[in-house]
Amino acid sequence: MADLDEDAINNSTTGGAHADIDLSDETQDFRMLNNLSFLDTANLSLPKRGEKDFEPNPTVFQADILSASRQAMHNALAYPRLHHPKNLLIGVYAPNGPAPPAISKSLDTVAEEAPAEKAAEKAAPVSIGAQVPADACVYVTKAKGPFFKSLGQADRWSRVWLLPEEALYLLERGTLDIRWPRCAVGDGDEDDIEDSGLPMSLQAAYACLMGRGGLTMERYSVFTGLRRLGYAVLRAPGWSESDEEKVSQAAAQSVARQGPGLAGIFSRFMGWLCDGAPTTAVGPVAGLGFHHSYDRIYRKLSLIPFYDPVTSASPSPQPRLPYAVVWHVYKPSTSFRKSAPPDPDFKIAVINARTTTIPTVSQIWTLLESTPLNPPRPNSQLYVRLKNGYRNVILAVVDQGVVSYLKIADAAFGKEKLYAQRPSGGNKNRGPPRHKFKKR
Amino acid sequence: MATPATSSIPTPTPSSLSNRISTSTDANPVAATTHQVLHSLQHQHQWTSLQIHEIDTKFSIPLISGIPPHRVYTHPDEQLYMVERGLREEDVELDRMFVLPTVQGQAWSLERMAAVFDALPEPAEENEAEAEVEEQTEASEAVDADKAAKLAEYYEYRAKARRTGEWGSKRLLLAVIDKGMGGDGTVVYYVVQEGTVKPRQN
Amino acid sequence: MNSSPDLPIPISYIAGNYFVFSVDAATFLRREHHICGVLAGTLPQVPQQNVFTGLPLELMPEEARLLVEKGVGCIVDEVNFQKQGMKSLMEEDRKKYLKELESQGLESKQLQIRRKERLREEYLKKKNEKAAAKAKKAEEKQDTSAAPSGEDSVFLFDDRQPSTSPSHVSSRRSSVLGASDAMGITPAISHPLLPQQPPAEHHLPLPEVPSSYPLFAHLHSKGYFLSPGLRFGCQYMAYPGDPLRFHSHFLAVAAEWDEQLDLMTIISGGRLGTGVKKGFLIGGADKSRDDSGVAGSNVRAFSIEWAGM
Repeated sequence: MADLDEDAINNSTTGGAHADIDLSDETQDFRMLNNLSFLDTANLSLPKRGEKDFEPNPTVFQADILSASRQAMHNALAYPRLHHPKNLLIGVYAPNGPAPPAISKSLDTVAEEAPAEKAAEKAAPVSIGAQVPADACVYVTKAKGPFFKSLGQADRWSRVWLLPEEALYLLERGTLDIRWPRCAVGDGDEDDIEDSGLPMSLQAAYACLMGRGGLTMERYSVFTGLRRLGYAVLRAPGWSESDEEKVSQAAAQSVARQGPGLAGIFSRFMGWLCDGAPTTAVGPVAGLGFHHSYDRIYRKLSLIPFYDPVTSASPSPQPRLPYAVVWHVYKPSTSFRKSAPPDPDFKIAVINARTTTIPTVSQIWTLLESTPLNPPRPNSQLYVRLKNGYRNVILAVVDQGVVSYLKIADAAFGKEKLYAQRPSGGNKNRGPPRHKFKKR
Repeated sequence: MATPATSSIPTPTPSSLSNRISTSTDANPVAATTHQVLHSLQHQHQWTSLQIHEIDTKFSIPLISGIPPHRVYTHPDEQLYMVERGLREEDVELDRMFVLPTVQGQAWSLERMAAVFDALPEPAEENEAEAEVEEQTEASEAVDADKAAKLAEYYEYRAKARRTGEWGSKRLLLAVIDKGMGGDGTVVYYVVQEGTVKPRQN
Repeated sequence: MNSSPDLPIPISYIAGNYFVFSVDAATFLRREHHICGVLAGTLPQVPQQNVFTGLPLELMPEEARLLVEKGVGCIVDEVNFQKQGMKSLMEEDRKKYLKELESQGLESKQLQIRRKERLREEYLKKKNEKAAAKAKKAEEKQDTSAAPSGEDSVFLFDDRQPSTSPSHVSSRRSSVLGASDAMGITPAISHPLLPQQPPAEHHLPLPEVPSSYPLFAHLHSKGYFLSPGLRFGCQYMAYPGDPLRFHSHFLAVAAEWDEQLDLMTIISGGRLGTGVKKGFLIGGADKSRDDSGVAGSNVRAFSIEWAGM
């Protein structure tokens, strides 16, 4: 039994031994959190795994430790979400989605003499700023801080609109104080979304934001889990079935941009010319004639056609939820502009383990086909290339709040001509370290 | 495409397993499975006093019982008890153990498994048989009176622990033959126990 | 921490999920009813990590159902309760609530100031002690052990109440603080703005559960703590005690009584379990036996381990 001092973190010995253990896999002893000197960012490292016992025994010692762990957990969970008055960030919940502010709305109507007031109101989501998504439902008037680099979209009145997951995440981490709008507390009109001054509890925020605009708890768990690790996470075009058109557009673009191209077709043609079609009906498989190199013989011997992910051209059907990409994920190191996000580093489909069965090959196929071609770097190692594949996607399988990530890649074994590999620089650089595969 | 069999190639001699199966008078449809497992136990794992039992349930399931050359399973608490008293596994008489022969691809269900367990003898019945063994051991190992006393204490406690389920209740060895596509006839063994029996830690 | 909340504990049903938002309820369910759920939220004090997560507590439908059947919990349609509850707020209640939040905010502010003061004081004290010890050491030329390093530790979860700190500091400060100095607060739960026990019209029937529920209830009744098992390749992880302190014993999978099982399931499960020193457990409700109204009482389960031969 290790006591607290032994388990103290920031210990120089904690580096290697626990590096490959995902601490979030199992419930960790909250007493370890007490030792987490998270205010000291210079020494920030993960706590060491808490020691656990095999089974309960009737000792007071064990009971005391359990009680201390529970107390630590209780204290950690009871920690309040406080906002310093100097940097208080206020958001207001807009139950009916994005709408212009009260003052400007009346001004607009007067100045522009809108043809029909009601029609203008209906079209409000569009008119307040093209970038604001219709699913946004919390606005921040004085947005400041690093979070808005990757969260929210500003409207014409420089209010930043947040999607439900963004707003809930910011509230949950104690960054944003979301207020009830006047309309929700019985003040003002149906569409009065001015600040009522009443802060929303975490409980109320979940009730109002979860389930809005396609936000399921599974998707949210993936979003927050990745945000907490520093990734930027954006909704992907496959978010809802009604977004299918967007998906097909994106796919069409990617095909046009990254298809095999003329050069690819030409080289295939040349290859066919040079080698000729092997005929096996008569004579030896390797053919008659002179063979000056083994490569040529191997090429002759490759009778079985293989799938080439680069040249599959036929437009595939639309991926259907849940086997569709819903999150685009960006590494913290990727330079990121939310107005024009670059190609994502990872594409994630979210699967509810309770309601979804194992995908069929065609589901996986469609899902992969919906992602842009992402060929491995040609100078990387063989196994790295195979692991990366030509398209890849990550499945986040969520079982009641517990997320498992699986990567699926379209590996092109047929494209890796082992016979063409030249041993360069002796054994050292030849092929990958084998133990990587043995370990699994 | 079948090539005509040439009479010049001699038929290979049947394996000892094939002989056993073909000469068996067992009428059970799964007799081949039973005998293959029995063969594996006898020759690969050196079990002795092997018997085949036909259990009386709504399913016709054969069971094998025998005595292994060394202990197959020790409950963690039993192990602790023995360690505390300085008893080693070799000191304790070996138990007859039941083996359920199955083959990959065979249809199984909880219901069938439960029927097999219901047919196993109750722990109390086993104890009577053991009582005789116990006396023999005491006689032969009387040299070490201290150890004999500890053994006696152990046997007594074990009888109780089995009745209460403290050291696990009924258990058997599930034998599965790999006979599927490309199966090589390997037999794998798993300990199956009724109820929640905590895992061994070694 | 050892308080017992009023029963039944309201379990919020939101968009198909079951949540508990109250820290007292979460601790109580864990301590008294072996219901752990999964902490699905972010801890505001350490938001950039996934090892320790915070409220809300997400319950499996099985857990929610079990609590309702035991009379410990009730399911609340939180979405409607919030909507209607907020609409029908009285002006006075709102004002009272805001006043309360403000005074709590002021209190937190004072606490923060006091904490800073105390940290500073302790730091200075330590510094002086160290200096003194050093001087002494230099004098005696002997190995007097230096004060243990503890000055970096964080007092956020400290049991020591701030009230033990010098009172003259706080009293002096508090008189200076005005309403504009109050910390803003995001409460975890909506009580006391909304009633703790929602009216019956917002109650929902028993949660729907998967067919593995009898096994869940059976294992729970035997004292096991259960958690979702997908990450470990099973349906439920079964712990002999609180997962905070104990390793799991079983990887559990449920089957229907007469469901056809592939023996490969048993072998791969047994192999998986043995590989991590756990038992593989497969079980289900014996339909030929009556459960006499208690879920899981007619379950039979089998533990499987590799025999090592």
